[in-house]
Amino acid sequence: MEQHIVGKTLERIDAWAKVTGRAEFGADVHLPETVYCKGVYSQYPHAKLLAVHTEEAERAPGVVCVVTGKDIPGEKMFGEIFVDQYAIAVDRVRFLGDVIAVVAAETQEQANEAAKLVTAEYEVLPAITDPRDAIGNEQVINPDYPDNVCGVIHPQKGDAEQGLKESDIVIERNYKTGFVEQAYIEPESVTAIPSRMRKELTIIGSLQVPYNARISISRMLNIPIAQVIIRPSVVGGSFGGKIEGAEAMAVRASLIALKTGRPAKYTLTREESIRETYKRHPIDFNVKIGAMKDGTIKAVKVYALADGGCYINMTPPVMYKTAYLGCGPYRYDHLDYEAVGVITNNVHCGSMRGFGTPQAIYALENTMDELAEILGMTPTELRRKNLLKNGDTSPTGHVLDFNEVSIGAVMEKTVAELDFDRKWEQYNKENRESGRRVRRGVGIAVSMRGASIGADGMDVSRAMIEVEEDASVHLNIGLMEIGQGLRTCQSQMAADGMGVSFERISIGEVDTSRCPTTGGCIASRGTMMGGMAIKRACDAVHKIMAEAIAEKYGKSTEGIVFENDRVRFADEDISFEEAVHACYSTGRSPMAFGTYVVDTTKWDETHREPYNTYTYSCNAAEVEVDMDTGSVNVVKMVGCHDAGKAINPAMIKGQIYGGMTMAAGMAITEDLGFNPKTSALKNLNFENYLIPTAMDVNENVALLEENYDPRTAFGGRSIGEPATEDGAAAIVAAINHALGHPGLIHELPADLDRVFFAAKSLDEKKGE
Amino acid sequence: MKLKNYVKPASLQETIAVLKETEGPVTLLAGGTDVMVYAREDDRYADHTVVDIFGLPELCGIEETEDSLIIGAGTTHTEIERSPLVHQYADILAQACRTVGSLQIRNHATIGGNIGNASPAADSFAALTLLDADVEINRLGEVRREKIGEVIARPYRTTMSDRDVITRIIIKKLPAGTICDFYKLGRRRALAISRMTIGTVLRTDADGVVQDFRMTMGATFPRPMMFPEINAMLIGKKPNDDDIKAVAKALSDKIPEIAGIRASTTYKQPVCLNMCERILHQLLGGNN
Repeated sequence: MEQHIVGKTLERIDAWAKVTGRAEFGADVHLPETVYCKGVYSQYPHAKLLAVHTEEAERAPGVVCVVTGKDIPGEKMFGEIFVDQYAIAVDRVRFLGDVIAVVAAETQEQANEAAKLVTAEYEVLPAITDPRDAIGNEQVINPDYPDNVCGVIHPQKGDAEQGLKESDIVIERNYKTGFVEQAYIEPESVTAIPSRMRKELTIIGSLQVPYNARISISRMLNIPIAQVIIRPSVVGGSFGGKIEGAEAMAVRASLIALKTGRPAKYTLTREESIRETYKRHPIDFNVKIGAMKDGTIKAVKVYALADGGCYINMTPPVMYKTAYLGCGPYRYDHLDYEAVGVITNNVHCGSMRGFGTPQAIYALENTMDELAEILGMTPTELRRKNLLKNGDTSPTGHVLDFNEVSIGAVMEKTVAELDFDRKWEQYNKENRESGRRVRRGVGIAVSMRGASIGADGMDVSRAMIEVEEDASVHLNIGLMEIGQGLRTCQSQMAADGMGVSFERISIGEVDTSRCPTTGGCIASRGTMMGGMAIKRACDAVHKIMAEAIAEKYGKSTEGIVFENDRVRFADEDISFEEAVHACYSTGRSPMAFGTYVVDTTKWDETHREPYNTYTYSCNAAEVEVDMDTGSVNVVKMVGCHDAGKAINPAMIKGQIYGGMTMAAGMAITEDLGFNPKTSALKNLNFENYLIPTAMDVNENVALLEENYDPRTAFGGRSIGEPATEDGAAAIVAAINHALGHPGLIHELPADLDRVFFAAKSLDEKKGE
Repeated sequence: MKLKNYVKPASLQETIAVLKETEGPVTLLAGGTDVMVYAREDDRYADHTVVDIFGLPELCGIEETEDSLIIGAGTTHTEIERSPLVHQYADILAQACRTVGSLQIRNHATIGGNIGNASPAADSFAALTLLDADVEINRLGEVRREKIGEVIARPYRTTMSDRDVITRIIIKKLPAGTICDFYKLGRRRALAISRMTIGTVLRTDADGVVQDFRMTMGATFPRPMMFPEINAMLIGKKPNDDDIKAVAKALSDKIPEIAGIRASTTYKQPVCLNMCERILHQLLGGNN
């Protein structure tokens, strides 16, 4: 298949609607007869919920109804993989974001007022807020997990203990990260609309994974899946964040819609959104690396303890990525990576762009820098010696003989753009000058990212293509546009897959009643998995058309080629329109589904294929550190990625720019103000939870190293998560370089106080 | 936003009439960049009459007299920051206003509103203190003047009644050749609440002898403060390293002395020491 559309920077199909304000987001939905919802939160992080009193709220002005967990007719709990989360708490609350009742009223203001009148009786239980206290604590949070441990992922290769013993140098270090919020611009808003004709619900709003929401609503409200229709609105960012949280809201709104027979709209304030929805896992790492004097890495042993919070959510699959991808793109013989997720009474943790790897890469890469210093090597020298090459075996044992293992080239491109090696030496020298109060530093981090879900889950995608009589092509695929540009890329892939011009492709908005079930737009799987399904649907349509053409023209269509709006077979070269006409005139339907199941991942005693394929990534950062204040200025960031063939180069670069900025927030400013005594989060809005502003971004450079991936339909694989997984590691490494001491900052965020006191500790040491 | 009543008078005179007639608590809305945020947090204005004075012609604009600048209380931070008069005669205030919030906030936040809100982190306060600003207040027709340090009682509390309208801010012009420096330490580069600000006004003669020196911190004390004894430390001197160190120490020592030992003191005091020293070295350039 020749590619003419894939690889081009085409304008986003949603650009104009978004920049002119015409795009309809969840909160923009206004329907007649709507009732407005407001949730009531638990007062305690852990308690038995004895009674919820709603009578007074029900009598308040404008109130239409108040629902509690008892009103849910079907299953009381939901969850994507582990069913353990209440949409509305029934008998127990497990964190301060649990909703115990939902008030519906004629106006939002009335609902807000009435919600204050709901009271509850609790029997308070001890709250576990420190993950280290959780394991084996006699206070059990989820009875199905009596030791409060919900996920242990433990890939091993070789004999790590032996490998460490045989090493010339063994380094052991601890690193720590905190809760991080996805910080999408649009807080969640969903509207559930009951059908006037039958027991059927349509849900519109900010949902990242419509198919899972449909299952939860079906199970909890006793409606067949086919009668739950999800049509997500334009989503204002998600980063993994609008899955379970938005789903719980959809269940609550649906319950009210069924009860009242009216559309029910449920919109969160920013404070509610941060309070009740899940975060990036805080993880404590203990990292041991063994190496020979010449810098050859022998063994890596890591223990990672993650706070999964009150619900299991995505903790086990997050731990899978921490363990299987946190071990780096290096060649070494012995690995022992144990990632443990525990249940606490803190805010739950789940999907967020990176999914367990930004933390792990930050821990591993900064330990690598510490190792390099001991070995008397620069960060790039150590990496050059150990980075994977074609045919090498990955840390988990995957033989990499199926794609271009380009991590070396990716790093060199990054190094060249930042002029890393020269600056490393220069800043080493100038930072030794006494009296220099603003020091500079550079840092680098590398990674390999498994594309899509790994061997820990089944991975299927589906798409439908229908060619209309005028030769326009309709693509239906249920993978969500969440700001990344996916639907433009999917249209480009469909154009090349069908062999037609981009203008012929019309992509339907996601609608679960029209698009086949396809899994979520998660795990950086949209482009790769969507592309595979699109390709198969295109091939199936071509087959139908070929049969029609053969009949109509009386010629063999063996080896038929669809390309550039032309169709070539035998000695004919006809237009696509003519081919479509042949199809309809012979009574055939040029319409087909494409289904793709990943069959290349397997992990057991003998199979070591945790992922289908990998994206290779490198970030480098240059910072200025003000020794007098602890202030960090990220002067420049470079992100280079081999995500295979770039389906749309501008869009892939957009992901890289955003990914680096998101990483900078995690590295330097973002702090939810978690209180370990109460498990409360203090920084519930963007006045206090500090994400980078445009003013905080200086020079960001996005680079591509393109190698067509034979394991994907159009050569492209994943960028969404790789784009943000190395940045925090590189920035912290750069800060530590500026401070002249790798590993000095080993807890995130590296905010004013943390950096200032680190700098001060150096000054004091020097003074002694 | 929950409120008892909303009134938008067309003139100062009408405002005063409204304030006379209204019963119960009054909140003056002078841009809304604080009030609207508070109103979202709780119902504190539920029994308030909100009198919207944003854009009142008598409160807008910047004028000069022989020795003073007169800034209407309704002048926005953007207008102040861009004013050639302020730039020429009181650049410290222009610099301070430039660091506030974001452009959207600066376009709507007024200097009078900033004083009325009395946030301890208000960026304009250190500058207004260094400029020895007078605040003109109109209480139901009666006009008085108070020093900025007297108007602010403590964090988020002024000495004014809710019938007081800040009308003008009067500052003395700084002579030509005066150097102004406003340093803001925030957690990010925009939309950041100040961790600390340091304002400096300095004038030396041709020989480098200090003629005028004022330096103080914002976002540090419960109300705007300046210390004459510290300002006097450099006057008449060609400051050397030790002089600069002494000023930095004296200023940073004020933090525990006035604000008490808090969790933040361990950070703020040494940072203040470092930065005061650094700023003075920069401003005094070749003198030491």
